[in-house]
Amino acid sequence: MIETGFVEVAIAVSLMVLAVILSRWQRVGTEKELIIGTIRSFVQLVAVGYALEFIFDLENIFALLGTLMIMILIGSHTASRRAPGIPRVRMISFLAITAGSTVTLGLMLATGIIQAKAQYFIPLGGMTVGNSMNCSALVMERLHSEVTGNRLAVETALSLGKNWRQAVDTFFRKAVKAGMMSMLNFFKVVGIVTLPGAMTGMILAGAPPLKAVFIQIIVGYMITAAVTVTGIVTAHLTVRQMFTSADQLKI
Amino acid sequence: MNKNGAKISDIILRTENLGRTVPAESSSRVVIDSISFEFHRGKIYTVVGPSGSGKTSLLRLFNRLDEKSRGEVYYENRRIAEYAVTDLRRKIALAFQIPYLFPGTVASNLSYCCPDQTVPDDSSLARYLKLVGLEEELAGRDSEKLSVGQKQRVALARALVQEPDILLLDEPTSALDPGASRTIEELITNLNNELQLTIIMVTHNFRQALRLNGVSLVLVDGKLIESGDSKALFTNPENDLTRRFVKGELR
Ligand SMILES: Nc1ncnc2c1ncn2[C@@H]1O[C@H](COP(=O)(O)OP(=O)(O)OP(=O)(O)O)[C@@H](O)[C@H]1O
Ligand SMILES: [Mg+2]
Repeated sequence: MIETGFVEVAIAVSLMVLAVILSRWQRVGTEKELIIGTIRSFVQLVAVGYALEFIFDLENIFALLGTLMIMILIGSHTASRRAPGIPRVRMISFLAITAGSTVTLGLMLATGIIQAKAQYFIPLGGMTVGNSMNCSALVMERLHSEVTGNRLAVETALSLGKNWRQAVDTFFRKAVKAGMMSMLNFFKVVGIVTLPGAMTGMILAGAPPLKAVFIQIIVGYMITAAVTVTGIVTAHLTVRQMFTSADQLKI
Repeated sequence: MNKNGAKISDIILRTENLGRTVPAESSSRVVIDSISFEFHRGKIYTVVGPSGSGKTSLLRLFNRLDEKSRGEVYYENRRIAEYAVTDLRRKIALAFQIPYLFPGTVASNLSYCCPDQTVPDDSSLARYLKLVGLEEELAGRDSEKLSVGQKQRVALARALVQEPDILLLDEPTSALDPGASRTIEELITNLNNELQLTIIMVTHNFRQALRLNGVSLVLVDGKLIESGDSKALFTNPENDLTRRFVKGELR
């Protein structure tokens, strides 16, 4: 068990002070960011801690769903800001993240793997939405840059009588793959190069390692499924926005 | 007369007050301004005019890569919007100014437009290559390992595989030296003779229009300012703008 009293936190803070001093001494030039980062992360995390303490008392399914909805709204807003130039981008990421999250969280709830308790629902929801958000943004970004950068290829395909879906097929697949890449890379190195944060956290908090491993496996597969659904839905909706009903490229 | 003995119209493509406006910085910009013209079956047309006069824009309206803003285009006496757009684009083929070949072999590019069951066999591929003056050995070559002139010819052959009624060519010789340009011009004349293909070719060079010896349309600022037999039109222009264009005063 790791102790977490004021003294312990103070010692951890002193480590950050050491980091600042080192940064200064070696003229790395990051001390300002370090100081701001220390204060900022402290405030943000403590605030979230209090919020979670409050939410964890909720057993009401509507309160949980409401919280999830807020996470999805924030997530889709963030994703949409990373992909300007696509019509109705906010709607696309909202629908895609909702699809990815509800399918996986719904299945986990329905099969009883997790219970409708804030303690499970909120952290898992957060991880699902967070990863789906990144995926959605990546897919939109990639599709936009591929299609605008390969306008001639797309319009050549159209001119040869292909429909809009066929004309962007290669870019569609590239984009979905790009959105899933971080997940796929994660699988390659997990357990060898890295130990996932959730698992490490559980072990630090005193869970038996094997139990932590299986929880991590469940969480990992669940996030991957959510990311895949989100990526594919995002790509379909995005591509549709790039063409008129007469198969004309409009971005 | 077609085989049922019914008279088929001599006019294959017709525009009526055709116009296109595109959004510009603050207001909008007229790129095609009320063009009415009749294209007759089996003839060669050259669209001539200074840079930015709307030549490319006009071609793109014919195969519906862009949408018109006003007026109408009729193909075989039917509004082009009445055709399934993918069918229309197979009938009215467009070869872009810069040829784009898909990754893969020359052969795979030639059969790109075809549904799987109608992929041309080796002998018909060879025939299409011969039609554009290429050796049949080229079929197995990687499309990236071709000269610009060869790419241009492959793109042309690829457009011909879909057996179009009308071939739209956007400055097919702009990237070629004068010698190579001449052979492409001869090729175009041959295609027109052998396949009875209606050809509408864009060029900024009126001498090329003279050599092709068809009907020319002179475009300035999106307007059709003069049209007629190329020889008569450019040796004795009636319109002052055409005269200035021939003198090289319009760029
Ligand atoms: N989608 C578009 N959005 C904005 N402007 C456009 C668009 N398409 C064409 N234009 C403008 O329309 C005008 C005509 O362009 P177009 O490409 O048809 O000319 P062009 O005669 O083919 O010229 P060039 O000989 O240089 O190829 C240009 O001023 C161009 O900037
Ligand atoms: Mg042009």
